[in-house]
Amino acid sequence: MKIAIEELAGCSGCTIAVLDLHEMLLDVVEKAEIVYSPVIMDVKEPPEGIDIAFVTGAVRNEENRERLKMIRKRSKVLVALGTCACYGGVSGLSMLSSNAEIFNKVYRNGATVGEDGKIPSGVPPFTYRAFAVGDLAMMDYYITGCPPKENFLREIIPALIAGDSLDLSRKSVCSECDRKMGSVEGWKLKRRYEGVPDREHCLLGQGYLCLGPVTFGRCGASCPKNNVPCHGCNGPSLDILREPCRDLYNMMVRRISDLTDHKEKEIEEELYDVAHTMYPFTIGSLIMEDKENSKIRDLVKERSL
Amino acid sequence: MKEITINPVTRIEGHARVKINLDDSGNVDNAHFEVVELRGFEKFMIGAAVEEAPRITPRICGICPTAHHIAAAKACDEIFGAAPPATGKKLRELLMVGQFIHSHSLHFFMLAAPDFLIGHDAPAAERSVLGLVKKAPDIAKKAIEVRKFGQRMTEAIGGKPIHPSTCIPGGVSYPLAESKRLELLEMSKKSLETAREGWNIARTILDQTDLSFGAVDTAFMGMSDNGRFSAYNGEVNVIGKDGNPVSAFSGADYLNLIEEYSEDWSYLKFSRLKGGDYYRVGPLARLNIVKEMGTPEADAALAEYRSTFGEFTQTTLAYNMARYIEFLSCCEKAVEYLSDPSICGGDVRTPVSGVSKSRGVGIVEAPRGTLIHDYSVDEEGFITDCNLIVATCQNNFGMDRGVEDVARKVVSGGSLSESAANRIEMVIRAYDPCISCATHAIGQMPVDIELVRRKPER
Ligand code: SF4
Ligand code: SF4
Ligand code: SF4
Repeated sequence: MKIAIEELAGCSGCTIAVLDLHEMLLDVVEKAEIVYSPVIMDVKEPPEGIDIAFVTGAVRNEENRERLKMIRKRSKVLVALGTCACYGGVSGLSMLSSNAEIFNKVYRNGATVGEDGKIPSGVPPFTYRAFAVGDLAMMDYYITGCPPKENFLREIIPALIAGDSLDLSRKSVCSECDRKMGSVEGWKLKRRYEGVPDREHCLLGQGYLCLGPVTFGRCGASCPKNNVPCHGCNGPSLDILREPCRDLYNMMVRRISDLTDHKEKEIEEELYDVAHTMYPFTIGSLIMEDKENSKIRDLVKERSL
Repeated sequence: MKEITINPVTRIEGHARVKINLDDSGNVDNAHFEVVELRGFEKFMIGAAVEEAPRITPRICGICPTAHHIAAAKACDEIFGAAPPATGKKLRELLMVGQFIHSHSLHFFMLAAPDFLIGHDAPAAERSVLGLVKKAPDIAKKAIEVRKFGQRMTEAIGGKPIHPSTCIPGGVSYPLAESKRLELLEMSKKSLETAREGWNIARTILDQTDLSFGAVDTAFMGMSDNGRFSAYNGEVNVIGKDGNPVSAFSGADYLNLIEEYSEDWSYLKFSRLKGGDYYRVGPLARLNIVKEMGTPEADAALAEYRSTFGEFTQTTLAYNMARYIEFLSCCEKAVEYLSDPSICGGDVRTPVSGVSKSRGVGIVEAPRGTLIHDYSVDEEGFITDCNLIVATCQNNFGMDRGVEDVARKVVSGGSLSESAANRIEMVIRAYDPCISCATHAIGQMPVDIELVRRKPER
């Protein structure tokens, strides 16, 4: 059994998440041979005949795209590992700006650079937008999470290596959250820094934008358990993925409306910074952009060209 | 003119390559360290509610997410005018300690040590942590164990081992439970034991190595808390090429000292001092700057290190030993912090009502060096400007010149053997560069229009 991990535009957190199997790593390397993973070993190119390859990160430049093609060709099973690979991840936020604006900001208008700064040209050219890998190549499996959490990987990786099938949880973050639903009166949307949330009750009911209801679980609701609203890093929940007319934004609005008896319109008026509060992990995903009622198209408005 | 490329540079975080240009007689004409990837944080954070910065920017780097998380949170503290209360501050400091333990042990044992413990001439396939598992299973197991402690501590305080989420404007979102403290305390004692044993390996690791590899003469920059090693508190000090203090700064004053520029062949910007001198950051810089580590065993190790390298050293490969001394110190600090039950106090956050300052600069020492997050906001707290200075940009010059130095030494007859290539990479690895951190800066390259392929290809 030959395993490979390929890194595209990401933060390496997904590879670190694999190292976070800790002592289980020793079992893994006993049963399977890791033949390629540039963060931890020196093999410079994926060999032929890989059984399972994990690809992490999004496609941001031509080199990423070439590497994706190569790893697809050389592996039997290709797994999109992590939210960047599955939905573009935070790299997708770059679609909020045009090329010219980004260049000028970074190489000419930053607080520490001069106006005559050079824009690098002898480097791999970028694709015109960020892509989730599944939008460019056929994936056999998707493992979401930014990064996928340890307990979850502990279940999946041995099963993948053994070729077993698994019955995994398909529920949202809310299903893993221990907070109670209290009565909701005089609801008003709060910024995430405002006040001190009480630890007992649902954060959404307290006015905080907690993306638990629209987010795939398997993280044990780590954030709400520590009194921080969910940011949606595991990507969209299964019901949203399945239904073409369900999107993160409209499902959140509907959920808040059900909870508070406020009209959907009123809630929409209170929402702010939708790109960074609702879509920070999915804005680069064609699957999410193609939803009938996705807000991504409005947020991006061809800025990437 | 012939060109040799090492692509990708391996056992570092992210994507980079080395290009060596040879002249007609097969000698090295020049060589460069080139970074081939970029994302886009400085631009795409503009418009965001600033309290989202501590949540989004950790995704700059999966190896040092905590440093970004805390630097952004410190900037938010300023913007919202809310200094964390005593326990909140301690928890953040301890979170940084967890970050260092995980990142430094990862680098030392899993990324760099294979060169020393397995040998830089060993076949590529063996020269990795996986090779280490076979060749030195005890060391590999202990490395796994200590790194696990670093990640468990980050998880306990930060909510998650990678991309923590609990640092908020004004402090930390939730106290540490007493039962967790006791559990972590046990782990910290074991980790200290391992760190102590490992020092015997670390102190001899450079014995067989040519210490002139990667030579470069630079100034240095790093934080210290009144002369004591610190990742969270204190001023940032700058010392010159000769080891003498040049200046110190905190907050937005970094602008008076640092400038950046770019070159055609790399996405990675270069930082230097405004006077034109180049500088380096990270473990070597910090150990050149501090008077003491502030913990007994690390101080003893520092004395030993100084008896070899002197009070001040430019030796690039000494980064590896300096890193180990910091790792040892952080293991000691973890035991110290966790032995004190007051770390479980309830005063973890200062409530925040609204924006009180239009600019916030958060500075911490990330494992790889000084990290600066600078945000300007409008009255509602939405980001209007953002500047991020990461360690790898600041070490770019050192790596770039170091690569050329080694290339001149190891390229012979116009060709590069695999073990010679690995020696070049060893110099890059000494800096423990983090390309993801370094390439936060941008998202896209010159307009390259193409059709969207809606149908995935098999
Ligand atoms: S999914 Fe998250 S952890 Fe994984 S590479 Fe992307 S940003 Fe990093
Ligand atoms: S909305 Fe958030 S706080 Fe409420 S139940 Fe869901 S995850 Fe928990
Ligand atoms: S609670 Fe939400 S933001 Fe936190 S880890 Fe889970 S999915 Fe990610």
